[in-house]
Amino acid sequence: MGSLEAPPSAENGSAHPAGMGKSPSTDGGGGGATLHPADTTPDPDSSKRRRSSVLPLEVGTRVLCRWRDGKYHPVKVIERRKVHANGDYEYYVHYTEFNRRLDEWVKLEQLDLDSVEAVVDEKVEEKGATGLKMTRHQKRKIDETHVEGHEELDAASLREHEEFTKVKNIATIELGRYEIETWYFSPFPPEYNDCLKLYFCEFCLNFMKRKEQLQRHMRKCDLKHPPGDEIYRSGTLSMFEVDGKKNKVYGQNLCYLAKLFLDHKTLYYDVDLFLFYILCECDDRGCHMVGYFSKEKHSEESYNLACILTLPPYQRKGYGKFLIAFSYELSKKEGKVGTPERPLSDLGLLSYRGYWTRVLLDILKKHKGNISIKELSDMTAIKAEDILTTLQSLELIQYRKGQHVICADPKVLDRHLKAAGRGGLEVDVSKLIWTPYKEQS
Amino acid sequence: MTRLSFRPRPLDIHKKLPIVKSIKDFEDDDTPTSTRNSLLLRIAPEVDNEVHPVPSRRLASEIPTPQFVVVDTYERDYSCTFSQPNSYLRARGARAEIGEFVEYDLDNEDEDWLFEFNEERKLMTPETFESLIFKLEVLDHKARERAGLITPTLGSPIPVLLRLDAAIEALQAQPIKYAIVQSAYDYWKEKRERRQKPILRRLQPPPPANDTNPFNVFRPREKAHRLHTRRMQRRENNVQSFEKLRQVRRNLDQAKSLLQALIKREEKKREVVDSEVTLQRMQMKYKHETEFLEDSLALPGFTEEEFLDSDDIMTDHPQTWSSAVQNLPSYDTNLLTTPTVFTKQESKRRYVPHGWPRKLDPLEPVMLFTKPLLPEKLAMAGILPPSDSSTVNGVSAQSYEFRGRIGRGGRIIFDRRNPLLQTSIDCAANLLLFKVPVVIPVFHEESFYLLHPETAITNTIIGRNEFLKPWLRYSDWRGSRDNSSTADAEMAEETWMME
Repeated sequence: MGSLEAPPSAENGSAHPAGMGKSPSTDGGGGGATLHPADTTPDPDSSKRRRSSVLPLEVGTRVLCRWRDGKYHPVKVIERRKVHANGDYEYYVHYTEFNRRLDEWVKLEQLDLDSVEAVVDEKVEEKGATGLKMTRHQKRKIDETHVEGHEELDAASLREHEEFTKVKNIATIELGRYEIETWYFSPFPPEYNDCLKLYFCEFCLNFMKRKEQLQRHMRKCDLKHPPGDEIYRSGTLSMFEVDGKKNKVYGQNLCYLAKLFLDHKTLYYDVDLFLFYILCECDDRGCHMVGYFSKEKHSEESYNLACILTLPPYQRKGYGKFLIAFSYELSKKEGKVGTPERPLSDLGLLSYRGYWTRVLLDILKKHKGNISIKELSDMTAIKAEDILTTLQSLELIQYRKGQHVICADPKVLDRHLKAAGRGGLEVDVSKLIWTPYKEQS
Repeated sequence: MTRLSFRPRPLDIHKKLPIVKSIKDFEDDDTPTSTRNSLLLRIAPEVDNEVHPVPSRRLASEIPTPQFVVVDTYERDYSCTFSQPNSYLRARGARAEIGEFVEYDLDNEDEDWLFEFNEERKLMTPETFESLIFKLEVLDHKARERAGLITPTLGSPIPVLLRLDAAIEALQAQPIKYAIVQSAYDYWKEKRERRQKPILRRLQPPPPANDTNPFNVFRPREKAHRLHTRRMQRRENNVQSFEKLRQVRRNLDQAKSLLQALIKREEKKREVVDSEVTLQRMQMKYKHETEFLEDSLALPGFTEEEFLDSDDIMTDHPQTWSSAVQNLPSYDTNLLTTPTVFTKQESKRRYVPHGWPRKLDPLEPVMLFTKPLLPEKLAMAGILPPSDSSTVNGVSAQSYEFRGRIGRGGRIIFDRRNPLLQTSIDCAANLLLFKVPVVIPVFHEESFYLLHPETAITNTIIGRNEFLKPWLRYSDWRGSRDNSSTADAEMAEETWMME
């Protein structure tokens, strides 16, 4: 039925990938709504007539949606809302092939109404699922739609998590030089419920709703770097340690910001008990945060890292691996073995696997004679379980003639090392000037 | 995939694993390669609950992420005024502690109100307005602090305490017109009361720990450190355990002073005993000296042999005897010096007549103005102690004994003695310490011993440790006792020891 309208709108859409074209109908809907990335040039005349039979789409509908690459991908409607008085809806969709971070509000024009599945069987279930009880079918549904990054949550808490965070509240942020699309929901204070875009001061991380407010703030803001001690500097790269207790508001701001990019981060507890390690690129405008990791001051489970994030504009440049390596260097200075808090996100797990593989295989390549997992752990500050997992998943630990051996064929190791990717930026330990938290004060 | 025919041992992380450098080492192995995988699959679920890395690595190049763009006003908004010092940067105090920084940023609502307020003529700059709201917030917080109304967590709505006149008074130093301050105050108060909590985030109390609303974030953690064991929980650092520890300290102090008093008392007791013993020794010394003199002069009836014999004893051990005597007054510091002397003497004494050596017994009760009589000598002189006619059977005949002495004026007196009390019946003053039977347990060679009474008496003075040598087996002692003379029996009856 709607077969004729889709191709033209697809062309229109691909011509404006950055969402610069404003739909008049969305003007005034809220301060930040005008820059919504999913905005496309509307095509009101051709579409309206044919929609009536299926519209508005129910929550739970499966349909194809045109994504930013110009192609159609299967999506599921998560939520819908009326855009304006004319009765048009926009839809919050989840691309079933991708991680939830790509969920977004889309205009009707992006949807291929021909592909709407005939039976919207999920409608009833969606309503039932808000309760605590879940059918086996629902569990399976969750399992199949969210494969990555959720392995360690049971189905019920996952359901609760998704119910609460299913729709992103903030769509974009401005942070320093970059305007960044957010990835996930973040529980900003209720005063910020009415806006889609936030303006962050890149130094003190205060967030505001209007650009003018940020500009006024920038005239008075006295910070040019994170409000903590610089503990590492190499070239233009600096690391700052910020105590959550001494800089509560900064720590909270950082958490609000980070939650926009971390699915399973929790902001449940106060920042007092954490230290934040902020990695910065420095120039004549100041020290610009590229990423951070947080760490409990006293971890009972020997966690040496709670949350880790490289901001999207700085991703795939080796900063994440630098942060991971840095966290282990701190553990070595403390004389402790550490492990990251779980669950790891898909990207986090990838980085950690890469780091573990590189560090362990480098040792195995050079090492002569026998070695125990414990010794490897002592050398690297990596927890024994993580070492075991890494080596086993690379099939390097084998059971031969009644005992375990480590298979370290140079060719095999090189193959794995290549797969693990570049090491990223090196941590120069001689430039780390730091005393573990307990020893200060 | 073939089933594993064996169960792999769990991997011990402390065990040194051989590193196999070449994969060829495996090729000639007859173990099928496929077990490797099944083995891994078996181990993996135990330790690895994360996703298997292979699919994620496959995704690695494809994980799509949302996008970002460069802000075109960035270069304008952020000025190039930063220069990195050579040393590492150090944190300054928190913003609140360093002076004049206005922490508040106007929000949309404030801007709209200010816009209307300024519509007719420009009365207030946004900066002034920001600073006013910030100061009002801080003043209100201080007012609540003074009133003691700071709550640890956000429970009920937090009331506004700052009154207009107080605010104006506090803001006098500011070059701001009264009317403007008043309008700002009214606006602030209205906004503040609508929110029911401080506007400045720094001043907002955290949500209570049991609040489950996911929108309320940054709760205080109930307990920074859960203590694992009950023992540790008892030691928690709070007022209760502090009081408990103080109580323990008080008790220990009391116990200490009690013990000190006890020590003092025991020392005094010991002094008393010491001085009594010293006194006794001096008395005995005096007595023996006079006795020797008297015996050699007044009783020439002894045979030469006896005399030599007794002399022999004296000449055999002259230095030991004198040293023993010398040692006596200070025995308490030299308890161990003299036992062997007495032992030798003892063993010898068994073969000599009993009359003489008994005079050497330093423990013989001292009667200053009387002299004890020896039954042998009396017998020689034809004087017999009175027989106990009051008792009927033979057993009780032994229950009364008589000790002869020369009384004042040269009369011979026989004191009736009670063997149980070891005292002369009419002479309570003679009840001396070492006449009281002393029972001291002795363990030796797991057999049952009785000490020879005399030795025991001697050694009781010298020290308990010296029991080990000078004793006799109980049976020996019994034998000697059965055959012994009355004097011997009398000695045996003095003090005897059993295990």
